[in-house]
Amino acid sequence: MQHLDPDRLVLLALSEELEELNEADHLTQCDVCRHEMQALRHVAELGSAGQELRDLPPPPEHVWQAIEAGIARSAEPALPAAAPVVDLEAARARSRRSRPRWLTPVLAAAAAAVLAVAGVIAVDRLTGRAPAEQVTARATLEPLKTVPPNAGGDVQVLSDGQLRIDVRNLPLTTGFHEVWLLDPDNPGKMVAIGNLSDKTEALLPVPPGTDLNRFRLVDVSDEPHDGDATHSGLSLLRGTLTS
Amino acid sequence: MSSDDELAERLRDGDETALRTAYDRHGSAVLYLAQRLLGNRADAEDVTQLTFVAAWTGRDSFDPQRGSLLGWLLGIARRKAVDRLRWAAREQRTAQVVQAQQPPPPDPEQTPERTVDRLVVADELSRLPAEQRRTLELAFFDDLTHPQIAAVTGLPLGTVKSHIRRGMANLRRRWEVDGATFGSRSAGPTRAL
Repeated sequence: MQHLDPDRLVLLALSEELEELNEADHLTQCDVCRHEMQALRHVAELGSAGQELRDLPPPPEHVWQAIEAGIARSAEPALPAAAPVVDLEAARARSRRSRPRWLTPVLAAAAAAVLAVAGVIAVDRLTGRAPAEQVTARATLEPLKTVPPNAGGDVQVLSDGQLRIDVRNLPLTTGFHEVWLLDPDNPGKMVAIGNLSDKTEALLPVPPGTDLNRFRLVDVSDEPHDGDATHSGLSLLRGTLTS
Repeated sequence: MSSDDELAERLRDGDETALRTAYDRHGSAVLYLAQRLLGNRADAEDVTQLTFVAAWTGRDSFDPQRGSLLGWLLGIARRKAVDRLRWAAREQRTAQVVQAQQPPPPDPEQTPERTVDRLVVADELSRLPAEQRRTLELAFFDDLTHPQIAAVTGLPLGTVKSHIRRGMANLRRRWEVDGATFGSRSAGPTRAL
């Protein structure tokens, strides 16, 4: 059987010319040519429907920023590696400088005493007799890679079970900032502590019985108002609690 | 313009600038598809983000021998959009709220497969040699006949015909490799990410 000429098939597929009678006959009989023409016709039709696709607008820049943020997170599979490591020496040096010299031994003693009971904050709470403002643990919050480097914060856990957090230069959000305590050894395990209002400082209650030796990684995230109570995955600041 | 092969290699090497190149080249097509599927700009932007992050984490699975970068990205985007629709449906059931969430358009002209096909054919058209592309655009968009195209472009009629035939062959090959409706392609598992 003589197949139709390829050029002719294209013309027919583009509906530029009508089939001659003998061509129509051939197309009804010949699967190869019919399939060929249907494919060409379909492609021509897809091509014709593609005019509006020629100059599609690029996505807005914030989409790319979100991609970069997502990649940064994906590059951090395990939380301990993920969290910017807090330089303990530097953190201690800073806190020493910021406090009156005489207070240091007092706090050191208090911290040592409290480290042992970090996991049983509830006890302090129940007795209600713990002196106010005794700091049982602290952390310096460092910005994650995607966050402006001047962002940061400080966290103090007080002996009455409250967590005092002080943040600066957080990126603006259309949602809100939530504070979490993460278990760096078990990614996905975390405790929601509360959200930061517009103020830069907040005093948030740590749920009684929270084991701060386990949930020692403080995390501040950007949460959309989506009604989803789980972590958005968009962490801004992190730091490890030390006594 | 670097080829898909070169991009694939750079991606496998962990070169983030290759992802940016892929995004500059195909981000708008991914966003377009997502918006078609979801009918909602914010969700479409989310899916675009998820698509490129998944492309990055799954970059080792991109094989330029099996399809183009665009086809691969659109495949990921479709799955992410479908996940999003399922999630929204589940949320809706859970919340027992009737919302004005647009269901995907029932119009057969607007099926996901057809949108993917249009995008890959349009992409191939944009990559054709200039004269091939120009003649096909005049045929597709301006509905000109071959003699009219010859008159407009000043090319001999025989040249116009051969451009159109070769251009059509290129578009068709690309559609068969990357299109969503073409037989083997939609089988999926071999391309699953």
